[in-house]
Amino acid sequence: MKEILKKLCIDKGVSGSETEMLDVIRELVGDFAEVSADGMGDILVTMGDKNAKKHIMFDAHMDRIGLIVTYINENGFIKAEPVGGIDLRTLQSSAVKVLAKENILGVICTMPPHLSKNDDELSKDNIWIDTGLSADEVKNLVSLGDKIIVCSEFRELLNHQVAVSALDNRAGCAVLVKCAELLKDKEIPCRLSLVFSVQEETSELGAGISAYSLEPDEAVVIDVGFAKQDGVPDEKSGKIGCGAIISISPVLSKKVTDKIKAVAKRLDMECDYEVCGGSTGTNADKISSSRGGIMTGCISIPEKNMHTQVEVVSLDDMEKTAKLLATYVQEGGVVNA
Amino acid sequence: MLDYQLLEKLCKADSPSGFEEEVREIVISEIKDYADKITVDNMGNVLVFRKGMKTPKKKLLLSAHMDEVGLIVTDIKSDGTLKFAEVGGINDTAVFAKQVKVGKNKISGVINAKPTHLLSADERKKVPSKDSLCIDIGAKDKEDAEKYVSLGDMVTFDSPYENKNGRIISKAIDDRFGCLVLIEMIKSELPYDMYFSFVVQEEIGLRGAKAAAYTINPDYAIVIEATTAADVPFAEDEKRVCLVGGGAVVSFMDRSTMYDKEFYQIARSANAKTQTKTMIAGGNDAGAIHCSRGGVRTIAVSVPCRYIHSSSSLASVDDMESVFEVVKYTAERILSNVE
Repeated sequence: MKEILKKLCIDKGVSGSETEMLDVIRELVGDFAEVSADGMGDILVTMGDKNAKKHIMFDAHMDRIGLIVTYINENGFIKAEPVGGIDLRTLQSSAVKVLAKENILGVICTMPPHLSKNDDELSKDNIWIDTGLSADEVKNLVSLGDKIIVCSEFRELLNHQVAVSALDNRAGCAVLVKCAELLKDKEIPCRLSLVFSVQEETSELGAGISAYSLEPDEAVVIDVGFAKQDGVPDEKSGKIGCGAIISISPVLSKKVTDKIKAVAKRLDMECDYEVCGGSTGTNADKISSSRGGIMTGCISIPEKNMHTQVEVVSLDDMEKTAKLLATYVQEGGVVNA
Repeated sequence: MLDYQLLEKLCKADSPSGFEEEVREIVISEIKDYADKITVDNMGNVLVFRKGMKTPKKKLLLSAHMDEVGLIVTDIKSDGTLKFAEVGGINDTAVFAKQVKVGKNKISGVINAKPTHLLSADERKKVPSKDSLCIDIGAKDKEDAEKYVSLGDMVTFDSPYENKNGRIISKAIDDRFGCLVLIEMIKSELPYDMYFSFVVQEEIGLRGAKAAAYTINPDYAIVIEATTAADVPFAEDEKRVCLVGGGAVVSFMDRSTMYDKEFYQIARSANAKTQTKTMIAGGNDAGAIHCSRGGVRTIAVSVPCRYIHSSSSLASVDDMESVFEVVKYTAERILSNVE
């Protein structure tokens, strides 16, 4: 699992620039599954019996949050705006990588203490990046619209946890890849579509598009959810190491959710639950209302420090979730759908 | 050109104040074949004598500090996360949501961040105080954490180093760059005998330099440092203090020292790009050295550095070369006056 995740945690793939992920997914599952991409850039991995009546779709968004270059000033400083819900607090004094003709390391401009006031408010309208290169060098390498990510290294913490940016939702992508590996020599009693969808962080665009095109009987979304940590309410979170967080929400199918719960129980997975009063804030919201409505469930991998460069997940949780999904498929999903 | 591979090695070493061992080992291994005398004093300062072609009537000390800003573990909580205090002046913004290394074994950790989704609109606009944060190493609970971490363990930034197109981004340029200049001086043919100190604990109160200056008892001193440049898009005019790319920074005054006026003129007249600060800001070991014993005539020469005291500071290679030229020139001129 660690090796799969490492391969998926590449710099590239900020919302709207996901095309580079295709090579990675091909490398990981291309030997045993059919890999294609739709017009929006969603990556579709097809397994099982293409002519089966039953069609199950698993979705994990593959885009990551970041920044986008909007302006370059006369001294070569780059102005940027957020792509997705980046946590402005994390940008201060952080190293970033400008994904340009050549990747360039930079630093988010901050005021030194003697000039900053305590009541300075962070604003998405005042994000400047300093690469230290001359204006000519910057203009030669960087184009408006280029994407930027906050730097972080893939680091292992204790107890099989890893810390790096973009685990939201490369962790979900890794779970889908692992699920595909678990199923590769197995009999699959249905058609299975694994969707690595685009632009979740900006508009949940890709999942809606792919659900419409694929028209599955049922779908399960795999994303990250809040892990228990300081300041995060118990009812909104799951413990790292619990396996997975199963969502319960009015927008989700009770049949699919019950099936997920039943499989988890058979696998002796502990699981935590997150009950949402309305929508889930994941691709499930779009998928469930696609076409004439698609029965949809949602599973999340507990993640600490979401939308920062120090997101943390447990590899054990990811393994368990992959097993859960593979078993769900082998059992044919919701019976009598 | 200075040895920038050595600078990378020095910057990557983890040595916050009080934990200078890693840098000290690199320094000693680099200079041992060149120095005439090396002493490590009780505080951990490395005191060096290097013979030159002539012996001047006065003693000149060149000094740089080995320590960097960092954090220190102060408590292990029941959930296995670590509370910490700052070692040296670190802003809340420099700490929040950063990757760190804990203790001698460099255990990976992260500074926690409550997810932005769960914050109020006001909370989103302000970086929380570091007192409210903790370090997560992935431990299950206190007992689990105690297997890997002890109270008093050092914590340093886990951040990238890059030298590209004449600019360097790294932690700890303050003051591994100064250490590099001293090492290069010791390795070179010196016109006069000179004394050098690689000192500890600058960031927590100029402590090592005070002891080093006492022991060496110099007449004159040159401090080599990295200093705050604030030439970012939202700072204007004098508030930028000094400019990256503007050359070696020679100040007439900062928060801890009025510099020697003659030495200031000598340094500014070097055949290299120099600038002075446009605000009375910052301070360095000169503050401890110039008032040592019966007084030491002192000047500081610094490389301008943006985002100092953070995980990613930025400086220019040209400026570094200028500092080296200014230091060499100033040292020789000061001693030639008292031949």
